[in-house]
Amino acid sequence: MDYFSEGLARAVDLLLALDAETFSAVWATAAVTALALAASLAIGLPLGFALGHFRFPGRRAARLFVDWMLSLPTVVIGLIVYALFTTRGPLGEWGLLFTVPGMAVGLTILGLPIILSMTATAVESTDVNLTQTVLSLGADRTQLLLATLSEARFAMALAAASAFGRIVSEVGIAMMVGGNIKWHTRTITTAIALETGRGEFATGIALGIVLMLVALVVNLLVALLRRRAR
Amino acid sequence: MSEPLYDLRDIEAAHEKGGERVLHVPALTIARGEILGLAGHNGSGKSTLLKVLGFLLEPSAGELFFDGALVDARAMRAGHVLRRKAVLLAQETRLLKRSVAANVAYGLKLRGLPAPRELVARALALVGLDAAGYAARPWMRLSGGEARRVALAARLALDPLALLLDEPTAGLDRDSAEHVKRAVMGARGERGATLVIASHDMAWLASCADRVLTLEEGRIVSGL
Repeated sequence: MDYFSEGLARAVDLLLALDAETFSAVWATAAVTALALAASLAIGLPLGFALGHFRFPGRRAARLFVDWMLSLPTVVIGLIVYALFTTRGPLGEWGLLFTVPGMAVGLTILGLPIILSMTATAVESTDVNLTQTVLSLGADRTQLLLATLSEARFAMALAAASAFGRIVSEVGIAMMVGGNIKWHTRTITTAIALETGRGEFATGIALGIVLMLVALVVNLLVALLRRRAR
Repeated sequence: MSEPLYDLRDIEAAHEKGGERVLHVPALTIARGEILGLAGHNGSGKSTLLKVLGFLLEPSAGELFFDGALVDARAMRAGHVLRRKAVLLAQETRLLKRSVAANVAYGLKLRGLPAPRELVARALALVGLDAAGYAARPWMRLSGGEARRVALAARLALDPLALLLDEPTAGLDRDSAEHVKRAVMGARGERGATLVIASHDMAWLASCADRVLTLEEGRIVSGL
């Protein structure tokens, strides 16, 4: 127990002293998460909206594909992205392996299906009554589309929060594509894995505290959005 | 006699394209400024007729004239132009996830019209809601009866040619129902709107409507 409490005390010291190595991992996490989330939202929100709102041939197959993407193991995503970005891979000349943007690509593949699926479901579940209500008030087609988008806004924010939570806490893709390079691509999760392996519990716990605080904020946000999305 | 607002000739309607016919109206005219009551059991076709009159359901057969013009397939494609003149308060109407004031102003904004606070307050007052206490309130902090009254206020604010009401007092307590009834009568008295009201409240229909039609299995069986 002392072992754990000593680790916890040192972790607090590291955080209060703004330890450079610890905060390097925090900043790398923030950068890669911001990039991956921005890309997931930019692609996922419009496509998810289209998937939920429009009826087109192949829609069910597209939904199945998105659901399948949701269940892809992260090591498989890491493997695919690694294979694409390695020097012998088809995108090797882009030089993205072991870089923050490269990790962001992998994490976008993780976050995108979450945004797509939850947005499509949110738009689908804006019920028939909304359509009838908005049309009966005199909306044209564009106005109906905008109203549907507006009514699904809390659910879409919930999708964004869920994707954020998944991306920020991911370790497999970050490790494989980022390479866990100190001061460069080492994120909170890969640092925790490494430091724990080396017996450096204090750094691991310090980073764990940061991650848990992030998770707490995200969960509070999700709870709030869930209430509003109903 | 002035030109009727609605003129229906051999109108048929189905819930789905090619589906079973659920409404057949051989002939029906509704005069401007008239209050027409629709009575009948659940499933008798009242709501379907209101949806046809509100241009939310395209007839599968027959001719429908509105405001002097034939409503054909082309007119239905630009249905919002018609729906801005004939506004339906359906039974399943819900509020948008916005404040009360934003809900009342929504229809005006769709038309590109200004929605000043005074207008919103006036519309709320028509249904017995005080703007000071309700305008800023979010949709989720309203009771079912209050939400229904806000939905009616949103339609009254539009000052439509025709106001189509499907069970406007259903599920309301006596006070709320009285407010709704007063507001509905005000729409005709002050604005000269044509009203078509479907209701199970026969006493109310008998007291306020110029005519009451009874529907059974999609057909008008009395009152023409």
